[in-house]
Amino acid sequence: MNADQVNAYLAPLRDRYPESRALILPALKYAQTEKGWLDLEDLEAVAEATGLTSAYVESVASFYDRLYLRPTGRRIVSVCVTLSCMLRGSDQLYARLCDLEGLPPEGGTSEDGGVTIQTAQCLGYCDKAPCVQVDVDETEGPVLPDEAEEFLAKVRAAAQPTEVWR
Amino acid sequence: MPIRNIVYRHLEHGGDLTALSDYEASGGWKALETATAHMERDDVLYALHRSVLRGRGGAGFPMGRKASFIPKDAEKPVYVVCNADESEPGTFKDRAIMEHNPFQLLEGIALAGYAIRSRHGYIYIRGEYEHQARALDRALEAAYSAGHLGPDAHGPGEPFDITLHRGAGAYICGEETGLLESLEGKRGQPRLKPPFPAVAGLWESPTLINNVETLASVPPIIEHGADWWAQMGTEKSTGVKIFSVSGHVMRPGNYEIVLHDTSLRELIYDICGGFRPGRDFKACWVGGSSVPVLTKEHLDVALDYESLQAAGTFLGSAGCIVMDDSECIVRATLRLAEFYRHESCGKCSPCREGTMWMVKLLDRLVNGEGRPEDVDLLLKVSGRIQGRVLCALADGAVAPIASAVHLFPDEFAEVARNGSPPPTPMIESTAGAAA
Amino acid sequence: MTDYAPVDLERGEQVEFDLNGRRVHAPPGTMLVDAAHANGVEIPIFCYEPRIGPPLGACRMCLVEVEGMRGLQTACSTPVSQDMVVHTKSDLAVDGQDGVLELILANHPLDCPVCDKGGECPLQDRTFRFGPGDSRFLEHKRHFPKPLDLSSLIALDRERCISCFRCVRFSQEVAEDGLLTFQERGGDSEITTFTGGAYEGRFTGNIVDICPVGALTSIPYRFVARPWDVTNTESVCGTCPVGCNVELTTREGRVQRVSGREDPNWIHEEGWLCDKCRYAFPAAWSPDRLTTPLIRDGGTTREVSIEEAVAAASVLLARENARPGIVVGPEATVEEGFLAQKIAAASGDAPIQQLGIPAATLAPIRALPPAELADLDGAPLIVEVGGDPANQQAIVELRIRKALRHGARLVMVGSRPHALTGLGEWHETAPGQIAETVGRLADDIKGTEGVIFVWDEQSLAQEPDAVPVLAELMAEVENAKQLELGAHINGAGLRALGLPADGVLEAAEAGDIGTLVCLLADPLSAPGASRWDAALGKTGPLVVIATHASELTDAANVVIPASMATEHEGTLVSMNGRAQRLRPGQEPPDGAAPGWQILVAIAHRLHTDVARSPSTILRTAVTERSALTGLSYKEMGRLGMRLRRPSPASANGAHAPREPAGEGLRLVTTRRIFGDGFAARSDALEHVRQPADVVISPAEASRLGLEDGDRARLVSEHGECVLPVRVSEAHQDGVAFAAVGVPGAGVERLLPADDGPVRVQLSRA
Repeated sequence: MNADQVNAYLAPLRDRYPESRALILPALKYAQTEKGWLDLEDLEAVAEATGLTSAYVESVASFYDRLYLRPTGRRIVSVCVTLSCMLRGSDQLYARLCDLEGLPPEGGTSEDGGVTIQTAQCLGYCDKAPCVQVDVDETEGPVLPDEAEEFLAKVRAAAQPTEVWR
Repeated sequence: MPIRNIVYRHLEHGGDLTALSDYEASGGWKALETATAHMERDDVLYALHRSVLRGRGGAGFPMGRKASFIPKDAEKPVYVVCNADESEPGTFKDRAIMEHNPFQLLEGIALAGYAIRSRHGYIYIRGEYEHQARALDRALEAAYSAGHLGPDAHGPGEPFDITLHRGAGAYICGEETGLLESLEGKRGQPRLKPPFPAVAGLWESPTLINNVETLASVPPIIEHGADWWAQMGTEKSTGVKIFSVSGHVMRPGNYEIVLHDTSLRELIYDICGGFRPGRDFKACWVGGSSVPVLTKEHLDVALDYESLQAAGTFLGSAGCIVMDDSECIVRATLRLAEFYRHESCGKCSPCREGTMWMVKLLDRLVNGEGRPEDVDLLLKVSGRIQGRVLCALADGAVAPIASAVHLFPDEFAEVARNGSPPPTPMIESTAGAAA
Repeated sequence: MTDYAPVDLERGEQVEFDLNGRRVHAPPGTMLVDAAHANGVEIPIFCYEPRIGPPLGACRMCLVEVEGMRGLQTACSTPVSQDMVVHTKSDLAVDGQDGVLELILANHPLDCPVCDKGGECPLQDRTFRFGPGDSRFLEHKRHFPKPLDLSSLIALDRERCISCFRCVRFSQEVAEDGLLTFQERGGDSEITTFTGGAYEGRFTGNIVDICPVGALTSIPYRFVARPWDVTNTESVCGTCPVGCNVELTTREGRVQRVSGREDPNWIHEEGWLCDKCRYAFPAAWSPDRLTTPLIRDGGTTREVSIEEAVAAASVLLARENARPGIVVGPEATVEEGFLAQKIAAASGDAPIQQLGIPAATLAPIRALPPAELADLDGAPLIVEVGGDPANQQAIVELRIRKALRHGARLVMVGSRPHALTGLGEWHETAPGQIAETVGRLADDIKGTEGVIFVWDEQSLAQEPDAVPVLAELMAEVENAKQLELGAHINGAGLRALGLPADGVLEAAEAGDIGTLVCLLADPLSAPGASRWDAALGKTGPLVVIATHASELTDAANVVIPASMATEHEGTLVSMNGRAQRLRPGQEPPDGAAPGWQILVAIAHRLHTDVARSPSTILRTAVTERSALTGLSYKEMGRLGMRLRRPSPASANGAHAPREPAGEGLRLVTTRRIFGDGFAARSDALEHVRQPADVVISPAEASRLGLEDGDRARLVSEHGECVLPVRVSEAHQDGVAFAAVGVPGAGVERLLPADDGPVRVQLSRA
């Protein structure tokens, strides 16, 4: 994404903040919608649009779990593994998902680039444990380990949105 | 039934108040209209004060007192910030407010803004809550269109704006100064206090920061009066509180109850349906994960700030994680420790290094690589963190660990010798019973 | 590194409090760490760095017990108050400090035996004094592949980093370059630059000084020495007119490192150095360093001893009809300048001059109250007139940035955009328009009390009509002070000796000079180089006392290799009038000698009675030069002393505007920080060296048919040179901006000898 595109997105937001630095997160989140992660050009575009250095923008981006600085799969599947979900089988679900995608226990992106499987810290759907979020779609749950295959099939069947919010 | 849906007004009106007309029909926006037309700003502030409404995000600081710290003659603009970074493990109460009753939150923010002479509020919502953020986007648009927000929100010519700001995945941004840093476009690392946000908060301006539930409690307080609120519960634990219950209970979900009127036992067994057949209560983190754990002997504690504190824990965010006797306390403790290690911002050394060290120790214990003295070392390390850190995160990390070691000494000793037994999670499809 | 802020226990309001059972006092609001330090109690710290900004409270090392406050407090962020009771050594406080150290060390590699910081490492020292006896951390420590180069100058060892944030805050909040950051979160946090980028700038080396562990090390110093086999010498930087106070680290007879002093000069550079200052020292052994005295006679060149060279020079000065003239360069110390004057006097009052800017027109401003750099910190309004401090007096840039952070207003008037112009109110003026612009701003400025006027020597010398305007404005402002951005290293010191900036050149052109002595002066690479070049054709024997080879030494009859600022005793006067002591960190190379020794030897051969040591030379100078009154090595001490302010002089109508003759663009010059002989000769600065160029606006470029990267011939009425062209939208029309000082580039040939205004015509070369 280039600085003009970022600027166009930020234009209606600018008068909401007294400093352009505050636009970094909105800008980064928007820049990420193009391909689901941020490359160096994206970071530079955000830096230009917000008046900060690229190093600063990268530093901010790297602080947040949901800003991706390396290529990802078309969809990101985040499996909550915090205590409430663990008590209801999130580890088994996660292991099953990784297994089905041929991924190591630490997760990662499937060979065909279709999905990235990652653990997540508490997603705030503990009443629906174990819960799973695809990109920033509404978190779903409970997703039982036995339902993993069906779940993945559904994720893979859905096309990547034109704006990839994560 | 002790359930009383006040903040969850939508549950009294068909489960959803996302249409502006529905919210208006339920009495919505009356409080703001009344306040701006008939109450001085200080009267609203005083009502908040008298209601003894305590912050629902976890710290439990009285909102009226916090608001009264905002200087009345500030040269800089004054801000109200809604902390919607709900990320405390086991806590999902704010989610339902934003999703099903968003206008009550907006009205509460506008009222808080009126009380402290603010013209601009921000909602900082966690990045993972995009679904809820979109609900708020729609609600904001409708509220602006109807004139509830905008140029005349606080009366003719008295503007009030609300801006929704999305986070991007960092628990520490729920810490109030971490939130402010993040909102300003920085890494969300907490600030040294003092100065407190009321004096120098967002862009060094006086800032009132409160949790979603706290702010959504304001409209009913203004509508029905502080006394109405304060007569519920106890002197220091007034009004209603939403408990998010999760874990091994049969009916996990959000339950809004009058403080003090319900015991932990009633919450777990009567409201949430207790446990699977053959399973019994073992442990509960009643106020989210950042509080000391409770055991069977605490089941009859009343759910209010003072009683829980007397029982050795905190009401916190009331994200009540319940565990039955199928799970190992050390493994559960490790899981919480891993959360804090992952979420430590890295600014202060005891937290950054200490959360890492505690995870490594617990991990060895669980995996059968522990030494008997590791349990004591775990306590000693946690003692060198607690009370010596920049913000509340690491204290929150230590609380469940140290308390578990104290309350389950035999199990820790056993695990130190032989490791944790294999996990046996409860794998059942039970959707949340309430909101 | 500078750990604690200075605390004045003598003056001003004081509060009393109990410190470890002792009743002590400190000014109210002083942070406990500083108040304790001033009262002889060390509270250990890592992240606290008073020069960077408000306390961060991140490392938690400074935990102390304050009665009445729950738990432990960070002493870095707790201000003292009346009757506070503080325990830094109680069981609880000790457990706090010990505990934090244990946690910090949990992930530290403890590779002290192979760490450059070992022996002068705050982490090591504090572990020894405040830390745990042994570690209970049995887990695997984090591991990184070996060091990363942050730049050609600085290496980063990530394992050793304790995340104190000092370096990152320096970059973000002091230098404000925004280049160095933390990435990732929590235990994964690490210092880094933008992916693929380097940490390059004007002040980067400071992060090595402030790193409390061995994570950031200086590449030129890596594995060079251990602290126990070095000696440290407090001296002054001799690479620009600011004169920052430095420490020279010497091992095996060579200066291996220049760093900010541990206890810096708070009112001057406050311990920050620019990278030129820090990394220029290897120029002492550049390939063109002169190490062999030479005598050229007819067609033959003989390598001789220094005594023979001195004898030959003396003969050339003393012989009949010698008609000597002496040119003193800007690096000469006060002592050397004075000795040169004595030699001139002994040679029949021979003409003597410095290579500098004539002082007369500037006297009305110099007579006004001078500012210390520290005065900028609290200035409500800074008015900068002309100049390019970020390049030419770099540390001033940092101080102005600090003032801005403190809320100062910055008004700038000048022709050349520079690093600060985006940070304040920038009134871009065409050359020649300073008087008018300042006059226009006067009403706005004079309402503020305590304005500091930062004015550029060269700019105002070129626009004498602005001097009375500025001087009058300053007189109207209550408590105004002036800070000169001087053009020459010891220009102020040589001026205090009464050395004029002309005389020899004119005499040489008139054929009145026989033997010409150039003392640390290279007129062929100074303004007026073309005139000097021609004049040298009319002079007789040439005696050159110099540090490095040049066209001039190639042409000299006698070459006497001299020492550099890191190699000799002496006095330099900073641009704002602080006399400060140079102390040698190394001997000059064999075959070279300190300039003062060479001059003493010549004087003796001329039967002139001069003192024989720098201190006694200075003592004589002080008795004979009223501007030096009160000066002595003892009075200068560690931090130097301020020279008397010159008395107001009337400039007698010397304030007419100067309009350069000829046609073409006005030429505005600057000396880039890494674009002078020091940078050219120091291999440490090889990767940051800045070439000479000429910068023009896009409009001028298109008018002249020039493009970015073209080579242009510049022709003035004085001379010509060829430079690469850079086109910049930030620069105004009608002006050509060129960099001077780059050896061999020849920009000085375009300039008049007084560095006055000039026009140039550009064409494609």
